[in-house]
Amino acid sequence: MKTKCFNIEKLIIGIVLGWLICFIFIPNLMIVITSFLTKDDANIISLVFTLDNYLKLLDPMYVKVLWHSFYMAAFATLFCLIIGYPFAYIIARMQIKFRFFMLFLVIVPFWTNSLIRTYGLKSVLGTHGLLNKFLLALSIIDKPLHIMYSEYAVMIGLVYILLPFMILPLFSSIEKLDNCYLEAAKDLGASRWQIFRRIVLPLTIPGIIGGCLLVLLPALGMFYVADLLGGAKNLLIGNVIKTQILNMRDWPFGSATSITLTLVMAFLLYIYWKISQKIHKKVEMEI
Amino acid sequence: MKKIINTIYLFMVYAFLYIPIIVLIVNSFNVSKFGQKWKGVTFKWYGELLDNDSLIQAAIHSLTIALISATCAALLGSLMAIALYRYRFKSKNFIKGLLFVVMMSPDITMAISLLAIFTLISIELGFFTLLIAHITFCLPFVVITVLARLSGFDIRMLEAAKDLGAKEWTILSKIIMPLAKTAIMSGWLLSFTLSLDDVIISSFVTGPSYEILPLKIYSMVRVGISPEINALATVMLVFSLLLVVISKWLVREKIR
Amino acid sequence: MKKISKILLMTSCVVGLSIPNVQAEDQELYFYNWSEYIPAEVLTEFTKETGIKVIYSTYESNETMYAKLKTHPEGYDLIVPSTYFVSKMQKEGMLKQIDHAKLSNFDKIDTNFLNKPFDPNNSYSIPYIWGATGIGINTDMLDKSDYPTSWADLWDKKWENQLLMMDDAREFFHIALRKLGYSGNTTDPKEIKAAYEELKKLMPNVLVFNSDFPANPYMAGETSAGMLWNGSAYMANKEDANLKIIWPKEGAIFWMDNLSIPTHAKNIDAAYKMINFLLRPDNAAKIALQIGYPTPVKAAYPLLPKDFLENTNVYPPQEVMDKGEWQNSVGDASDLYESYFQKLKAGM
Repeated sequence: MKTKCFNIEKLIIGIVLGWLICFIFIPNLMIVITSFLTKDDANIISLVFTLDNYLKLLDPMYVKVLWHSFYMAAFATLFCLIIGYPFAYIIARMQIKFRFFMLFLVIVPFWTNSLIRTYGLKSVLGTHGLLNKFLLALSIIDKPLHIMYSEYAVMIGLVYILLPFMILPLFSSIEKLDNCYLEAAKDLGASRWQIFRRIVLPLTIPGIIGGCLLVLLPALGMFYVADLLGGAKNLLIGNVIKTQILNMRDWPFGSATSITLTLVMAFLLYIYWKISQKIHKKVEMEI
Repeated sequence: MKKIINTIYLFMVYAFLYIPIIVLIVNSFNVSKFGQKWKGVTFKWYGELLDNDSLIQAAIHSLTIALISATCAALLGSLMAIALYRYRFKSKNFIKGLLFVVMMSPDITMAISLLAIFTLISIELGFFTLLIAHITFCLPFVVITVLARLSGFDIRMLEAAKDLGAKEWTILSKIIMPLAKTAIMSGWLLSFTLSLDDVIISSFVTGPSYEILPLKIYSMVRVGISPEINALATVMLVFSLLLVVISKWLVREKIR
Repeated sequence: MKKISKILLMTSCVVGLSIPNVQAEDQELYFYNWSEYIPAEVLTEFTKETGIKVIYSTYESNETMYAKLKTHPEGYDLIVPSTYFVSKMQKEGMLKQIDHAKLSNFDKIDTNFLNKPFDPNNSYSIPYIWGATGIGINTDMLDKSDYPTSWADLWDKKWENQLLMMDDAREFFHIALRKLGYSGNTTDPKEIKAAYEELKKLMPNVLVFNSDFPANPYMAGETSAGMLWNGSAYMANKEDANLKIIWPKEGAIFWMDNLSIPTHAKNIDAAYKMINFLLRPDNAAKIALQIGYPTPVKAAYPLLPKDFLENTNVYPPQEVMDKGEWQNSVGDASDLYESYFQKLKAGM
């Protein structure tokens, strides 16, 4: 009997490890190694060790692109937070029977392919699109706004696609708020702003952080939004990597860029983690 | 007063989320090709959609991959979650680390790493490479969902079963699986969604022999001329809504 | 457990029905072509006549096609490289020699387009379409007095954020090189660098790069001027959009796209059948009329309506043809063009 127990356990662990090693560990290792090799026209890479690929990244052009991607992703995250927080708050405090339906309505657009949704956005934001028609009709503007193919279009696109990712974690964290705290504070004479700042906000930090991560990380890599909405001057790091690998077939450089992006993300995660730990400690001490 | 403000705010956010989709759906019935002026109602774009063999083929391919990879990811992911939960072994942290790497890496890094290994073992890009890629990126989501559910278990229940003489396989199939069912199902659903929607990874690891929908849509959107895309969007939306309604109905049956 | 086994059963049925069959060889043709280049009816006609199924995919630049083929040598049976890519790919052994004896319609081609320097004797390529890039304008958005007449005009500050440019390093650099008086086919690094500096000054005016469907941003009202292919303008006109091509003073860009068979193609017979099909005068005429690009098939000329042949948006007048420059191979310098192009796109 004991040997059979042992076998199933080993089998499961074996399958799990096998898959992970084959398709995650080795591929990523390959990319790390490739980032230190040189490009070779005939065989794609040649086994010559070099740091050139990483040094190339220090070139102002790539620093600029990386910074641009980061700044767009950061702004998109900020807007998602500003729009999403009140939204999640209102819904979380609704009656239970409405709550999930409202949430469901947020997820439904998700069921249409994000490319198609970006395309729909194109028809709304275009010079002859709905938004301009609406603003012109109300005489808010007298000439159509040229939003398409600009930074703003890309940001709007990112927010549009990633908003549900911000709302869901916020919702689940706000929902867990114990009403007792809020009522107690009210009884003790705290103003609404004070209640929000000192109780609601700190207690929902996990949701805020979760939401920010779920938006920021994908936003950094989403090249197709920039591709469709961004025009000539909004090259993001995802586009660079894609061009390096698919068009110029420069695997070493593409790998180096990609690893750098991953490291940047890991670094961001680390900062968020440290901040959340500090805030948690602060909250614990105050309570 | 507060209620009115709240309602207006909610309405505005929903409007933001839905207007582009509504525009898409409305234009799928618009005679005008560019959707800038309303020229009358027609179903001809739906007709063209049905005639567009390669698009339908791509849609079937996408659905197939989504179904199979969601199922495999659900199975494999559940196994992983179980292994992490139940068993003690040295490489636990290694596995957790790898799953974390997958979740955290930008899609594009995953895409090129998979492309690299597929090129190394000289496998032809197509159905199987796509399948493997999709299963791999769905894994962490399934693992997290199932693991969260498993952590809520009373471990004493499992120990009691063991004391009563249950074999490992019995414990797995008769206790753990049924109790984790909802988590596995939501993991499946999440994987299915992720797989259907994936653009980035698929654009790197698929080949000409196996066209999938997101890539087809990508090129159609870039050319941007036919309202067939709008018709497709409407069809997909209706299809997913149906899927959700059906699954809700199935769950209700189960509860009874 | 029951639910899981139901799902497994369902999926295994789906799998059984959908995993692609790998047996039928010359019943299929993997055709990789530029977007907008073949009307769907032509493909369905082909399948009707020959019974061969066409699996069609598109690309928007030679570089994409080249890269895909490098990682995927047996993936495609028929491709359509531009002139300078034919010589590049042939040198790297990526193209199969074409046996003209297998093409009964080969003699229908206008000899003016055969035997060009990039592929003497047409051993590796058969002309499919030729075309020209000129200045495109949306007449709805501009006054007649504002029309640009030369590439150099586009550098004027009044075009800020109004221009569309081809998403192609060679074509984009061509206009700067001509503005500076150099050849669009130069391999001189100094001249290429000068063009790059020139283009840096143009970038504030460029709103979008598009080679998928260049007429689209014009029609949507986002760009009012820029570069445009003659066929794109023609197709836009068919959709009632008022786009026009102005042939620039410094000279338009002429290019030719050719049918080639990759070395490792699997369905070679099907590829030959398709090439021959496309060279048939009635098909060539049909294609030309649909996509608005001039055809090199001489026998098709009598089949084309007079107004098509006289449409200056499609057939540039002789003086324009003489002043313009045909695109040619630049060998290894193409990497230089490409990397400067990336720099411009990144805003450097």
